[in-house]
Amino acid sequence: MAVSGSGGSRADNGYGSQQPRRRKGPGALATAYLVIYNVVMTAGWLVIAVGLVRAYLAKGSYHSLYYSIEKPLKFFQTGALLEILHCAFGIVPSSVVLTAFQVMSRVFLTWAVTHSVKEVQTEDSVLLFVVAWTITEIIRYSFYTFSLLNHLPYLIKWARYTLFIVLYPMGVSGELLTIYAALPFVRQSGLYSISLPNKYNFSFDYYTFLILVMISYIPIFPQLYFHMLHQRRKVLSHTEEHKKSE
Amino acid sequence: MGGRAGFFEVEILDWKTKKPLCFLDKVEPNATIREIRLMFHKSYPRWYPARQSIKLDPKGKSLRDEEILQHLPVGTTATLYFKDLGPQIGWTTVFLIEYTGPLFIYFLFYFRMPFVYGLDERFTSSPHPVVNLACICHSFHYIKRLIETVFVHRFSHGTMPLRNIVKNCLYYWGFAAWLAYYINHPLYTPPSYGKKQINFAVIMFLLCEAGNFSIHVALSDLRRNGSKTRKIPYPTKNPFTWLFFFVSCPNYTYEVGTWISFTIMTQCVPVGLFTLLCFIQMTIWAKDKHCTYLREFKDYPSLRMPIIPFLL
Repeated sequence: MAVSGSGGSRADNGYGSQQPRRRKGPGALATAYLVIYNVVMTAGWLVIAVGLVRAYLAKGSYHSLYYSIEKPLKFFQTGALLEILHCAFGIVPSSVVLTAFQVMSRVFLTWAVTHSVKEVQTEDSVLLFVVAWTITEIIRYSFYTFSLLNHLPYLIKWARYTLFIVLYPMGVSGELLTIYAALPFVRQSGLYSISLPNKYNFSFDYYTFLILVMISYIPIFPQLYFHMLHQRRKVLSHTEEHKKSE
Repeated sequence: MGGRAGFFEVEILDWKTKKPLCFLDKVEPNATIREIRLMFHKSYPRWYPARQSIKLDPKGKSLRDEEILQHLPVGTTATLYFKDLGPQIGWTTVFLIEYTGPLFIYFLFYFRMPFVYGLDERFTSSPHPVVNLACICHSFHYIKRLIETVFVHRFSHGTMPLRNIVKNCLYYWGFAAWLAYYINHPLYTPPSYGKKQINFAVIMFLLCEAGNFSIHVALSDLRRNGSKTRKIPYPTKNPFTWLFFFVSCPNYTYEVGTWISFTIMTQCVPVGLFTLLCFIQMTIWAKDKHCTYLREFKDYPSLRMPIIPFLL
């Protein structure tokens, strides 16, 4: 789903996909790079969070806050594409396919829906998923940063594996409502659609495509959500045992 | 604790639970694993030999039918592990189903069945000769594949898991429907460079089909005496097989060539996409095969690449 969630939604063992534990793990240079990457991303999403709060205080309402954080949102969400390369080059032990799927779905929502269909930018559903993403990503990237430095505060781990319970459905709702709101405008303008006849003998209806995307949430969301709940039980109970034995 | 003089005892355990499933006594020392599978099948009729994986080690590889009991590293009481591979289906059956689908699905679109392009266009035919040509080529391709499946191919494994066939059929049949839809559409646009483009494509198509067939025959001849072992394929007198000088899997090379020619012939994006996916899939298979050859044969020709001469 587009909301990566603060749970183990990557194909990792729940201990943080960027933690060099059992395997050899990334070398010193790769670790340094990853720390910098995760710090920059944490900072970026904090900028977005601060931007949202400031805009809310300045405007006095929570409508149309998208415009105040449009640029950093696009920049930092698109920057997450690097994570696919991290998996491909093996410096992060996650599945390339799973990571690609998650990042692409976020990028799709950012560019192919919110950016492309200007009329939905004033919808409240946009705020819903932006807030969910922001909180999730701040926690997730700081989780990775601390893990790489081998100093993970329990609070961050707890937050990552607990807040998703609310944030994930919140994000998914925001995404679905936004796509739904975009539908009539896509139909009207024929956005990203091509019809016959043409010399490539191809047709594509973006409207139908968006509907199929919405339908795909039905099988995918529960699977990811329950996977994260399962990870939560594993990770947080393991820590409890550790604490007891000390 | 061994059995009667000369005989072996075989106990078969479940690979996961280690529960004893079957105990065979008075087994001949020179019994093959095939015979042991048959004996196991008698006790468990629903686990026919093709779905039995019999191994020496719970996490190890499945033993081949030809292996002989006394040549295995076991004492006179052998412990073997069983894993159910699930319902199996023979490769020949798989290919027949996978290839017959696209053949007939294409016809549904070519003859413009009413439910495809609407009632107004039902049973009409296209004014473009290339559409008829495309139907002939597409059908020829799949009929050739069916004939090869029945008469030419010799498979090293007898079966594949049944659930794979649903996945495979969705892919082959789905794509056939998608590309047939556009080629036979009333609003189809013929290729931009007209007859030149089409004639070039037809010649390339025929050459690649002939090449692909030649390679299949050459590979089949390697196993003429019914053996299941791998041998290095070499170029023969047939010029189409000279591609073996440069690639390990020229059958895949020619197959990609066939689909490229079909793309040029129809100038249709869905065909191009299908060609791209075929290329990716076949490159993965070719690289696998190439690695296997390199591992098994120390004297494997070093000039050969997996699928594209000198490149890939």
